Amino acid sequence: MAGEYVEGEFNIHPMDQFQVIPLFGGTEVNWYTPTNATLWMGLTVVVVSLLMVAGPRGRALVPSRAQSAAEVTYGFVRKMVEDIAGKEGMKYFPYIFTLFLFILFANLLALIPYSFSPTAHIAVTAVLALAVFITVTAIGFIKHGLGFFKLFWVSSAPTVALRIVLAVIEVISYFVRPLSHSIRLAGNLMAGHAVLKVFAGFAGALGVGAVVPIIAITAIFGLELLVACIQAYVFAILTVVYLNDALHPGH
Amino acid sequence: MSEDPFAERLKRLEDRIERARASRADPPSRAAAKFTQSSLAWRMVTELVAGMLLGLGVGWGLDSLFGTLPVFLVLFVLLGFAAGVRVMMRTAAEVRMGKAEGALMRGPSGAKKTGPSRPGER
Repeated sequence: MAGEYVEGEFNIHPMDQFQVIPLFGGTEVNWYTPTNATLWMGLTVVVVSLLMVAGPRGRALVPSRAQSAAEVTYGFVRKMVEDIAGKEGMKYFPYIFTLFLFILFANLLALIPYSFSPTAHIAVTAVLALAVFITVTAIGFIKHGLGFFKLFWVSSAPTVALRIVLAVIEVISYFVRPLSHSIRLAGNLMAGHAVLKVFAGFAGALGVGAVVPIIAITAIFGLELLVACIQAYVFAILTVVYLNDALHPGH
Repeated sequence: MSEDPFAERLKRLEDRIERARASRADPPSRAAAKFTQSSLAWRMVTELVAGMLLGLGVGWGLDSLFGTLPVFLVLFVLLGFAAGVRVMMRTAAEVRMGKAEGALMRGPSGAKKTGPSRPGER
């Protein structure tokens, strides 16, 4: 699948960047094999720790640059959680903040040339979305017991038969959420990175005319920066919305 | 004449500062707003398609379980489609209320335009 470099032809292999490759040689990937995905997810955790633990260490009244970056991020997510889920949702703020930071920095680090983007893999985003789905469902059942099923029961519908049909629809739509939650993040990231690679391939084949694709790449890179932030934000905000649904079921 | 000229002057100054601040606040960039709208549109599309795919999967599974091929498939594709529309409408409602992702489209000074919204509609 790996594209070979051929002189004088279009060398466009946009999907090669998503290959999971073992770090220390070999081709076999077992569950314990350290791969480039491992490396970049680890780096994400390191960068997040650096920002959030080492950054505000000084606890200065007049914050340093790193400290104010950490504080602004914290305040931003905190306000979002408070606005949507209220005081009750603040209990789950650490989880949401962790998700947000992980996705944000995985997205941002993926924009470094020659890096690997873990969040472009549906496997990674599906695990994140499933974790959210299971957490939210568990919270719903713990908080409301069987009353959580009221989320699926449209009691305003006139007849019982209609209510059953609507219940089936509601159940399916409940399961649509983790699916679209994960597909969107992975899809956005993958599409963006693939487009970058395609334009880069044009640049390689055009000689002097390469100026045009290079300008385009610059523009797309800016857009990707926006996508990276917005997708992290959207993932976090949807988590809060689902959480809010679990805390207050019913319509 | 006035009982407290100093307080009055202070008040006038505050008004001026307020006005200046309001005029300085830069409007949210057009490109960003457009981009957010397209990202919302994508979200809705994924939800619709995910609903249909989920219905397709459930129907196919039930059919292969009972050996009644087209019955549940057709039924659940329709139900899945309805579910997709349901999720999509919920997203649209979120946008209209300026909640969730729709909040991205508001400027810092509160609700502004949230696309073609009709407030009378639920």
